[in-house]
Amino acid sequence: MGEVTLILQAIGQGEKCTSEDLIPLVYDELRRLAAVRLAGEAAGQTLQPTALVHEAWVRLVENNAQEWENRAHFFAAAAEAMRRILIDRARRKSRLKHGGGQERVDIEKVDLADSLPDERILLVDEALERLKAEDPEMAQIVVLKFFGGLTNEEIVAITGKSDRTIRRQWEYAKAWLFKCIQGL
Amino acid sequence: MSLAQEIFASALEISNETEREAMLQRVCAGSLRLRAHIDELLAVHAQADQFFSNCMTGVSALTNGSPASQRLAEGTDHNVGLRIGHYKLLQKIGEGGCGGVYMAEQQKPVRRRVALKIIKLGMDTKNVIARFESERQALAMMDHPNIARVLDAGTTKTGRPFFVMELIQGVNILEYCDKNHLDTRQRLELFVQVCHAIQHAHHKGIVHRDIKPSNILVTSHDGVPVPKVIDFGIAKAITEPLTDKTLFTTYGCFIGTPTYMSPEQAEFSALDVDTRSDIYSLGVLLYELLTGKTPFDQKDLMSSGLDEMRRTLREREPHRPSTKLKTLNAEELKATAVQRHIETAKLQLLLKGDLDWIVMKALEKDRQRRYETANGLGMDVGRFLSNEPVLARPPSRCYRLQKLVQRNRALFSAIAAVTLILIAWLGTSTWLFFKEKEMRNIAEDAQKQAEQARQNEARMRREAEARADIAQAAVMLSRGRLVEAEHLVGQIQVPVIEPSLEAVGVFRTLGDWAASEERWDQALIQFKRLNLADQVDKSEITDASAVDLLRLGPTFIAARDIPGYHHFVDNGIARFSNISNTIASEQVMKVCLICSPPDAKLPQLASLSAVLTRSINETKPGQDQLMLAWREFSLSLYDYRRGNFNDAIRLLEKCLASSSYLPERTAMAHFVLAMAFYKTKQIAAARSELSQGQELIRKNCPAAAGKISISGMTPESTVYWYDWVIAQILQREAVSLIQG
Repeated sequence: MGEVTLILQAIGQGEKCTSEDLIPLVYDELRRLAAVRLAGEAAGQTLQPTALVHEAWVRLVENNAQEWENRAHFFAAAAEAMRRILIDRARRKSRLKHGGGQERVDIEKVDLADSLPDERILLVDEALERLKAEDPEMAQIVVLKFFGGLTNEEIVAITGKSDRTIRRQWEYAKAWLFKCIQGL
Repeated sequence: MSLAQEIFASALEISNETEREAMLQRVCAGSLRLRAHIDELLAVHAQADQFFSNCMTGVSALTNGSPASQRLAEGTDHNVGLRIGHYKLLQKIGEGGCGGVYMAEQQKPVRRRVALKIIKLGMDTKNVIARFESERQALAMMDHPNIARVLDAGTTKTGRPFFVMELIQGVNILEYCDKNHLDTRQRLELFVQVCHAIQHAHHKGIVHRDIKPSNILVTSHDGVPVPKVIDFGIAKAITEPLTDKTLFTTYGCFIGTPTYMSPEQAEFSALDVDTRSDIYSLGVLLYELLTGKTPFDQKDLMSSGLDEMRRTLREREPHRPSTKLKTLNAEELKATAVQRHIETAKLQLLLKGDLDWIVMKALEKDRQRRYETANGLGMDVGRFLSNEPVLARPPSRCYRLQKLVQRNRALFSAIAAVTLILIAWLGTSTWLFFKEKEMRNIAEDAQKQAEQARQNEARMRREAEARADIAQAAVMLSRGRLVEAEHLVGQIQVPVIEPSLEAVGVFRTLGDWAASEERWDQALIQFKRLNLADQVDKSEITDASAVDLLRLGPTFIAARDIPGYHHFVDNGIARFSNISNTIASEQVMKVCLICSPPDAKLPQLASLSAVLTRSINETKPGQDQLMLAWREFSLSLYDYRRGNFNDAIRLLEKCLASSSYLPERTAMAHFVLAMAFYKTKQIAAARSELSQGQELIRKNCPAAAGKISISGMTPESTVYWYDWVIAQILQREAVSLIQG
């Protein structure tokens, strides 16, 4: 049984583990998947968070744990891990550009930029940090939706909030973040 | 949510500027800062929306299809040029909730162009493919000019399922009609063809489950529009049996738009969906073809949450098409009419009456009140087109007269002459009397035919579902999900399940598991099915199916179904008394004699005993001692049952002296030997043998719950529990003979 499953079970049994403990494990798997996906398909292939996160779920846990509560913890962790991966890549890529070096960029580093322009990602993330200070719950929704690519239904299950609340908070968060980005 | 969030969200929902301003003034009264904050956010809202939707391609399944995300998806597609199996992707031709559709070139076995649909991840590929495979035969039987065939399915290197379909170069039926300004009659003619296509599929036992405009493409053949229904069988393959748990992942993508979903589909009890669900979806399509609107607005349905959506579909009566037109604003109404080449007032008049009833009958909440078949719906539309009375409402005399007048307008104006009125009235009323009778007969016949067709469809569907369930159970078992698999298989209600390696494996594993937990009734159910699956198309017994007999025989006795056991033995003797396979002979002999059979049956086992005797005599010293000892035991049991006690004692002593030791066989031998000694009045020896056998059972028998390991689909790895069960049955017989 995988380590992920063990942690999920521990969470399920009310032990002192949190979704935080899962993040490093999920992070590794997501990175590996991203690399495999890029090796197997054409260069420049875009990676979609939704697909990656769900694929990670299938690979790491699906065989062993079925309860939705576990899924919720997993997806929350996966969204956070996905965020870190996207940020890492965006930073690396923008360093490459601004470093004045050659434009030689290897395949592994360009993937996500196509669907998620790196500058934008970094800006959103910076604004998100500020939002977190003001309203951590709303920031969580942004992580799940923007970085995890989860649907509203999935977020309902993770946060326990109503669909309507999530839609309203997302609308507010978008405007708030955008205004913040304009001021950066 | 904070106050600011509440106010902001509420403001967004008010589109009228003055009303919004009034609301903001009211709620922000006294706080200039709050008001300024809200205003700032409202000012950037549209830009923010654009910014984020540019950042998030493919992120939200629910909003997908929005222009921004579509542009991005097309601009950045790098799958083109890729090879998947025998297919080379040439060009992206569509983007749906479930993934992309590509024009592709098939290279083997024939070179042709096909459409290839790749399904997004987030679902269990193995199950999807298994479910598709189980429907494949049925899909292959479909052959209709208005159906695009699904040719193949497979998995990409990265594990995404894909489907290959006949390539249709056409546009969505609604778009086609609007672009070409088809009038209502032309639209209805297209619709009738769609009904025929769906009917053809229903006849083969296939329910589409996802009929909507984007799944009906219109191509032009020499200027004649031909509708083609695509995606048959795909909805079934990619829709898990839905529960609220799986709903979260599959909702956005796989159920598609609830707008075209029947109330029973919206309940998500997927097994309950039958052909009549497609009739409902056809009704929605017809509604949209006529009015340009769906009965329920998609946005309203999606925004109200799942429960509310289900309630709407289940309870709310939609407007009649002609009433729906009245709810449109003047501009929309005009556009709708122009697209249909007609004046607005005339369009309303045209829909009122027959077309209203036809649509509403297809949209009935209670599926028993809908048209029973797609043909029924198509024929009624056809009747409307030829001015005949439609079946959609019970015809009144006045209504029929009205139809008659419409059909024979010239005649009726001619006979309007006063002098002819009386004669005409007499004539028509007689004629109407016969006409009414004829209509009643037609309606009754149609109903009978429909009933028969539906029963046929229901049977084929149950069989297809059984196949799908078996495939799914096999996947579950390969992952050790025994409880779920047993539950799933338990729901299958088909008398004989078609033989397949998968089915055999599933029943064997489930039976072994139930037996290991001593749930004998459950084990019996599984082994009976196993036995049927074994024998359907095999006349010759194999080693594996002989072992399956060894599973079933003792299970009858353990489940206390003694008549069932004797029936099983009669059957076994009838089928296998003349076989020559020595391994199977030994097993058939043993399983037929676990209990004493009626004397008349014993001579029928003579041929098997000859096979065993010859094999024992031909076995050379040192060769195959394991099987030799088993043959000696089974033959001794035969001798004992026939009353040849001394022959039995001789064979059993040889068997017990065998160099190949198996505790379960040794225990069996002790019990039979004990009984043989008892019958020949050697009481002390009998008691000694009995206690030796009992000692072995006490020490070694693993049949206590949990000791048998069942692992996946490999029966080899299980302990031979059935041998221990046979040993215990013989022990019971010996104890009751010797001790009391």
